[in-house]
Amino acid sequence: MRQTRKFAAVVAAAALALTACGSDSSEEPTDTGTADGTATSSDTAEPMSDVKVGMAYDVGGRGDQSFNDAAAAGLDQAVAEFGIETTEATAVDGEPESAREERLQQLIDAGYTTVIAVGFAYAPSVAKVAAENPDVHFALIDSTDAEGDNIANLTFAEHEGSFLVGAAAALKSQSGNIGFVGGVQVPLIEKFQAGYEAGAKEVNPDITIQSTYLTQPPDFSGFGDPAKGKTAAEGMFQAGADIIYHAAGGSGGGVFTAAAEAGKQAIGVDSDQALTAAPEVQDVIITSMLKKLDVAVFEFIKAEVEGNFEAGAQEFNLAAGGVDYSTTGGKIDDITDQLDELKQKIIDGEIEVPTSPAG
Amino acid sequence: MTAIAPEAVNAIDNSTYVVELEGITKRFPGVVANKDIEFRVRRGTVHAIVGENGAGKSTLMKILYGVQRPDEGTITIAGEQVDLHSPADAIEHGIGMVFQHFMLADNLTVLENVVLGAEKHYGIGDEARARISEISREYGLDIDPDALVADLGVGARQRVEILKVLYRGSKIIILDEPTAVLVPQEVDELFDNLRELKQEGLTVLFISHKLDEVLRVADEITVIRQGTTVATVDPKNITARQCAELMIGSELPTPQTEESTVTDKEILRVENLVLRGESRSILDGVSFTIHAGEVLGIAGVEGNGQAELVEVIMGMREQDEGQIYLDGTEVSTWDTRRLREAGIGFIPEDRHRHGLLLEAPLWENRILGHQTQKPNVTSAGLIDAKAARADTERIIAEYDVRTPGVDVTAGSLSGGNQQKLIVGREMSHHPRILVAAHPTRGVDVGAQAGIWDLMRAARREGMGVLLISADLEELIGLSDTIRVILRGRLSDTFDPEKVTAEDLGAAMTGADEQASPPPTDVAHTTSADGQEWPMKTNQQTGQQQADQHHDEPGAEGKPL
Amino acid sequence: MKRFEPRKIGLALIAPAVAILVAFLITSLVLLVMGDPVMDVWRTMFQPPLPRHYVAMLNSATVFYLSAVAVAIGFRMNLFNIGVDGQYRIASFAAAVFAGQAWLPGFLNIIVAIIVAMATGGLWAGIAGYLKVKRGVSEVISTIMLNAIATGLVSWLLAKARDPESIGSNEVHTRTIPESSQLEGLALVPGASQKVYTLLLLAILVGFAYWFVLGKTRFGFDLRATGQSETAAVASGVNVKRMTMTAMVLSGAVAGLVGMPLLFGVYHNYGTTFQPGLGFAGIAIALLGRNHPVGIAFAALLWSYLEVQSNALQIQAHVSKEIVFIIQGVILFAVVIAYEVVRRAEVRMEQVKVARELAEKEQTVPAGQGASA
Repeated sequence: MRQTRKFAAVVAAAALALTACGSDSSEEPTDTGTADGTATSSDTAEPMSDVKVGMAYDVGGRGDQSFNDAAAAGLDQAVAEFGIETTEATAVDGEPESAREERLQQLIDAGYTTVIAVGFAYAPSVAKVAAENPDVHFALIDSTDAEGDNIANLTFAEHEGSFLVGAAAALKSQSGNIGFVGGVQVPLIEKFQAGYEAGAKEVNPDITIQSTYLTQPPDFSGFGDPAKGKTAAEGMFQAGADIIYHAAGGSGGGVFTAAAEAGKQAIGVDSDQALTAAPEVQDVIITSMLKKLDVAVFEFIKAEVEGNFEAGAQEFNLAAGGVDYSTTGGKIDDITDQLDELKQKIIDGEIEVPTSPAG
Repeated sequence: MTAIAPEAVNAIDNSTYVVELEGITKRFPGVVANKDIEFRVRRGTVHAIVGENGAGKSTLMKILYGVQRPDEGTITIAGEQVDLHSPADAIEHGIGMVFQHFMLADNLTVLENVVLGAEKHYGIGDEARARISEISREYGLDIDPDALVADLGVGARQRVEILKVLYRGSKIIILDEPTAVLVPQEVDELFDNLRELKQEGLTVLFISHKLDEVLRVADEITVIRQGTTVATVDPKNITARQCAELMIGSELPTPQTEESTVTDKEILRVENLVLRGESRSILDGVSFTIHAGEVLGIAGVEGNGQAELVEVIMGMREQDEGQIYLDGTEVSTWDTRRLREAGIGFIPEDRHRHGLLLEAPLWENRILGHQTQKPNVTSAGLIDAKAARADTERIIAEYDVRTPGVDVTAGSLSGGNQQKLIVGREMSHHPRILVAAHPTRGVDVGAQAGIWDLMRAARREGMGVLLISADLEELIGLSDTIRVILRGRLSDTFDPEKVTAEDLGAAMTGADEQASPPPTDVAHTTSADGQEWPMKTNQQTGQQQADQHHDEPGAEGKPL
Repeated sequence: MKRFEPRKIGLALIAPAVAILVAFLITSLVLLVMGDPVMDVWRTMFQPPLPRHYVAMLNSATVFYLSAVAVAIGFRMNLFNIGVDGQYRIASFAAAVFAGQAWLPGFLNIIVAIIVAMATGGLWAGIAGYLKVKRGVSEVISTIMLNAIATGLVSWLLAKARDPESIGSNEVHTRTIPESSQLEGLALVPGASQKVYTLLLLAILVGFAYWFVLGKTRFGFDLRATGQSETAAVASGVNVKRMTMTAMVLSGAVAGLVGMPLLFGVYHNYGTTFQPGLGFAGIAIALLGRNHPVGIAFAALLWSYLEVQSNALQIQAHVSKEIVFIIQGVILFAVVIAYEVVRRAEVRMEQVKVARELAEKEQTVPAGQGASA
């Protein structure tokens, strides 16, 4: 009721703005600037689909070598495969709620009728903007907080993937002391911690696990502050840890640096960081917990292109290949058998991985 | 008035001029700077530059010392026209300056202070020491190069400053208000030094507004008024009065006590105030009483506790011991606002720091200090801007505050007008007692007379006045009773009718108590307080002071 | 009367205008050096806002304004309350917890929650005030530290006061306030479906109160006097310690209001996404607005204009919206310098004027009027 009224008003407003621009002949109507080759990554393929995807990244954006990059990879793959037109925008730390809504609305105004919101922080704004734009399809990654007929909630079983790298850490650790660095202490990241700890305890019940978070909400800088990550990791290495797993977005770079400097090892997150991290620290990354945002993003776009949009929650778990561990660098080749065994147990339901840390 | 000047100057041979200024003009927005300054100084003379505060003396000296450059005009030094870009330039041309505020590092020795920045002349060692001793001897400066500056008195420090200038080879020495910080005896010594310098062929430019001193020491006097030279005169042919009239362009006022209006009604009584400092007491058993219609003058060299005494009385600082009674009511623990409401008017020593909001308009400054009183506020506690503005207009008219209006900021007024505003403000609330610290300091002669008149009027109306001043003339002229403060203790009373500036000067420096034990010990003995003062003064003052014991019953105090 | 001198007002407006101009020039230079499309950026920044943008601007300006007034109260007496940020967060949290309990019905709940916010903010700022008065701790240091403590304290308490329904969600927040206590907003902008915060009215009220209390009351006079010259204020009978405490608490109480439009107008609870950093924006805006109630309003609108218009930068000009931080930073930097320059110019102008007017007077009144009696 209220929503439809709002929608009507927005459409009216948009129309008004367009006519306003149109009447000013000297100026290019910037609102609709999609035809001027603004698509960021579709230089190669011919447009084969009229699906236009707008990506709204969380703080850090493309190039964070982690979470957002993983989503970007899925987008790039879709561009390569379907030749779709895309544009991207990134959140800024400390912005008001309205800025997130505005970002989504700007994408829609610019003609991008498939909107992917990367990160749970977009939940309230997606809920609002989706309701006002029922014809636009939304994908909300990592959150089921916003629901609607035009919202697909793409979530992951991070705890399952973290379980495997936790087991890997416990198997590879020589000191019997491993660490976990979370970016910001929110339930999502606690899922990583829970799975990691459970996995490590599964193979070595006596293992010492140091866990810490860089910042507490509402301070979200823990996802983008390598210096904090480095300090935290240094502390853990000094306290005896020899492998640290981070779930801290951009701050993870600091964890890797600390590991490289201390001659210790680390585990990456989200993407295969042995490939995406800075070359000089790639060597310390024994494995990464793959959260296949690329898969989720690609699958979502594929469904869009094929006209198979599906609203509601879709969990990408181990069984669905949404999470996994990486073997790049060959540092854990000796234990992949054990890990795969555990993996099968989880898929079979023999092991139930907790989603929140014990105690 | 200017008739004396031209002939006097023209009569002298040009070749002897060491400094010649011609058509010097310096414009500053809003400030009376210099226009068409013109005078010549002969070698080996003391040439005084006199003028009121704000007449442009300082600007002129800054131009001569290279701190500022004139917009027009020429400076000729020893026959050579020069262009002074910086003090370094000036020093190169043999010009040295001794500022009013000394620039000495207390924790260094004389030698170190002198060679600082002048190492290239004689190094920093024995050669420099020898040179300093030599200069000291030659000009009779009596300076020990190895003395610590912190241990030197004001007069000696000034001599160190002069020595510094001589050490750098200056032949022309500018002294900016050199006597402002000195007591009469020290002034005499300074003048002896100046005569020595003169005899050695050096030239002294002496800036002052104290005419009696200028007449004593100068060979020639150039008078500046409103930024321009009005005359160069020979002190032998002119009286202080005539000279002053040249300075202000009209007749000269003097502080003159009128008939005594002292009553026996006690207004303010202070008993045995003690304020402890870090090493010794800042106030050490101060007691006095002020009656209605009485002006109690307190003389003293700065830093002997005057400022603190005012702060304690005004409730701005808490005393460690002692009581204060206002009209018989004990007010020792009252805060400033309550005291002001109870009728203490306050003319602070530093009007910029304590008396005014320089960036606020006049009418807001009229409210300051009386925020709780009519007409500034309504009964609801709101600022009554309309009434305050109207009353400010009245003060401006009544107290002759020269201002274009009540909306200009206090900072844009001249010092004298600022002071008149403060006096007018304080008087408007009909205080029972007025605490006036240096009420005419930095005020021009015209405003000074006005302020003196106001204080006399207040006294006639039965107000008590606590007058703290460094201007002995002012104290003698206005006070009914004078006491001297030295190291936090008050002397017995002096009668202004009989006392001389020299007597007061002696008491201020403690020159009259050489026989007494060091004051730190005395502070804790019972009867020594106050009593020792008149006993061992120099001969002339002894009997005067003895006469005055009777009218000061609270004077003995009860230490500890 | 003389209070409205066009020349003076002109001078007062020149400073911010120059500052903004300089900011645009420098930003253009930065864009140019980085090879970004300068013209596209400015075209995007200055394109005519849509109705919803006006709503967003008004909303942002509302919270900016409250924050800046809180800062300005301190500034007016030379107190640098850097802690508005922590104060509003802890106050918003307290108000959210209170309002979420729904002990009181509808509107009353809002009123009391706002009072709770003011009390909390005032109390938090009062800690810094107490430390300054009793221990001489610089309020700059203590408020910065209190910001950090507030962050920790709120996180810790948030875990305890967490809405049971939000468990399992990434958004940790307090109990949502009942619908009867939510403020839907005012449909002020025609053509926009979004509403303007109802508590815009609160901001206006605060602005008026700020103007009145500081400009018209004895208390305000004392506060301003203390700010202009502490020594003169002491001599005039102001109890500076008490004044410091009062001003700090008052500043904190207004800081407590900063989060109220957000709480009742957008979030309806205090959670991890509650907008941080408003206190720091307030410092900048108070400076830009010269602590003047109307000046701050313009500054807040400028700030929110830049913020809202920058949202389109990424999509339309392909330039990160962080460029706005550069604009804002340079504006601030330039404005501080420009104000000082103008202040000196004003002082000089006034001295010239006084001297000239007095000189004119002297000429009309023949000399020799002598001293007053």
